[in-house]
Amino acid sequence: MNAIEVHNLRHQYNRRTIYEDLNFSIPEGTICGLLGKNGQGKTTLVNILMGFLKPTSGKCLVLGEDSHDLPPATRNRIGLLHEGHLAYEFMNIAQTEKFYRGCYPNWEAEIFYDLVEKMGLPHDHKVANMSCGQRSQVVLGVIMAQNPDLLILDDYSMGLDAGYRRLFLDVLHDFAALGGKTIFVTSHIIQDLEQLVDTMIFIDQGEIMQTGLDDFMNSFHKYVFHNGGELDLSTDDVVKGFEQRGELVSLYSFADEEKVKQHLTTLGIHAKELQKVEMTLEDGFIGLMGKY
Amino acid sequence: MLPSLLLKEWLKLKRYFAAALLLNFGICLKIFFDIRQQMHSEHAEMVWYQAIHIHTVLYQDIRYLPLITGLVLAAAQFVPEMLGRRLRLSLHLPASRGFMLFSCLLSGLLLYLLICVQDTIIIYLTLQNYFPVEVANSSLPTMLPWLLAGLLGYLGGVTVLLETHWPRRIFLLLIFSVLITMLFSGNGYGWFTPAIPYLLLLFPMAFCSVFESARRFQERGV
Repeated sequence: MNAIEVHNLRHQYNRRTIYEDLNFSIPEGTICGLLGKNGQGKTTLVNILMGFLKPTSGKCLVLGEDSHDLPPATRNRIGLLHEGHLAYEFMNIAQTEKFYRGCYPNWEAEIFYDLVEKMGLPHDHKVANMSCGQRSQVVLGVIMAQNPDLLILDDYSMGLDAGYRRLFLDVLHDFAALGGKTIFVTSHIIQDLEQLVDTMIFIDQGEIMQTGLDDFMNSFHKYVFHNGGELDLSTDDVVKGFEQRGELVSLYSFADEEKVKQHLTTLGIHAKELQKVEMTLEDGFIGLMGKY
Repeated sequence: MLPSLLLKEWLKLKRYFAAALLLNFGICLKIFFDIRQQMHSEHAEMVWYQAIHIHTVLYQDIRYLPLITGLVLAAAQFVPEMLGRRLRLSLHLPASRGFMLFSCLLSGLLLYLLICVQDTIIIYLTLQNYFPVEVANSSLPTMLPWLLAGLLGYLGGVTVLLETHWPRRIFLLLIFSVLITMLFSGNGYGWFTPAIPYLLLLFPMAFCSVFESARRFQERGV
C-alpha cells in the first residue's frame, strides 16, 4: 500500500506551470526525500499533499484519502512540519503540550518532554523567545508525540546548526526504526538526507526522477580529469552535468568510465587523467540538477 | 478537542480582552459620573428636558466603543494566525475546518458578548438611577445598532484578515464598512428599532462569510 500517490498532477501559479504531469508514489514504511533546487515547487507539493493548495488538475492520495479533502481521522495520522518550524509563538512550552494533548488521542507527553527538556528551558519559556533551533525542538516534540504513521517534513533543516540537524536525524532514525512509519522529507542539506532516506525524488522544471538511494549512488558516477583552459561542454545523453574549478573538471554521468572516455574523445576533449572518484549525494545532486 | 481550541484562543485574547473590558468599564463609569455631575451642577429639570424632550443621548461616548472592541478582538485572534500563515497549524489538526473555525469564533464572540453585557448593565443602571424606567429601557434599542456594529466589526475583521486575494479583501472591506456606517447613520433613542429584526439577518450572513474566507485561505496554499 502506498502512503502517498500522485497521479497526473498539474499545477500553475501566476500563469507559470510548476508541474505538468507529475506521477509518483511513496510506499508505506519507506523514507523518501524530495530534492530540488530552490523554486522548483517542493513546498508547493507539500502544500498540495496537505490540502493547503488546490492543484490545477490531477489527483493526490495521502493514506488513501484525497489530499484536497483529508478527513480529521487521516490528519490525525499525519505529523506535519511546516517550512520555518511554524509554531504558536504566543504559547509557552507547557501550554503547547497542553494544547496538543487535547487534540491528539494518541498523544505521548513523555516523548514531547524528552525532546524539549534537552534544551534545559523552563516550561514557561515562550516559543516567541526561542532561537530557531530551540523552536525546531518544540515542533519536533509536537509531531513525535502525536505518534503519526506518516511524517511530512518541509525543509526541517532550515536555520538549524549541525547539532540540531543531527538531533533531528537521530530522532527520525529512531522513529523509522519503529517500523511501518513513512517519512516524506524535503531539505536543502543534501548530505543529511544521504544518512536518512531510502528513496529519492529529484524534481526539476516540473519533471521528476524517482530512484532508490543505493540505486542512484551505484548507477550515477562522478569522474574527474584535468583540462587546460575553459571547457566547452554541454549536457547530453552521457554528460549529465559538469563543473570546472581551475584545471580540474568534475563530470557526472550514468555511463561507465570507458563510455565517458570515448564520448569525450568524440567531442574532441582531451580528458587528462580521467578517473572515477567517490561521489557524495550532494555531488550527485549538483551533477544531476546543476548549480542554478 | 474543544477545550484545547478554546485554550488557544484564550491565550491570544486574554490581554486584549482584559484591556477592552477595563476600557469599556472606564468609559461607562465616566458616563455615570458625567450624568451625576450634570444632575448636581445643573437643574435636574434641564437635564431631563435634554434627555427626554430633545432626545439627547447622554451615553454617546460609548457609541463607537463596541466597534473598536470587535475589531481589536478580531485582530488579537487572527493576526497571529495570519503571520507566517500559521492558520495552517490549526487547519492540520484532526478536526473539521468548520468546527475549528466555529470554536475560534465562539471564543471571540463570547468575550465580545461579555463586554457588551457589562456596558449595557452599567448604562441601564445609571439611567435607571436618574431617569424614569422608560428612559433606561430605551437605552437597549438605542445601543443595539452600536453593539451590532461591533459584532459586524468582529466578523468583518476576521473575514477580511482570512481573505488572501487582495481585490476580494478590499471588496469585503468596502461591504462591511458600508454596513457598519449604516448602523451609525442615525441619532436619538431607538432610531433603528423598526429595522432591527432585518438587521439581525446580517449576523448569519457575516458569520458565513468567515467560513468562505477560511475555505479560500486553505485552497490558496502557498
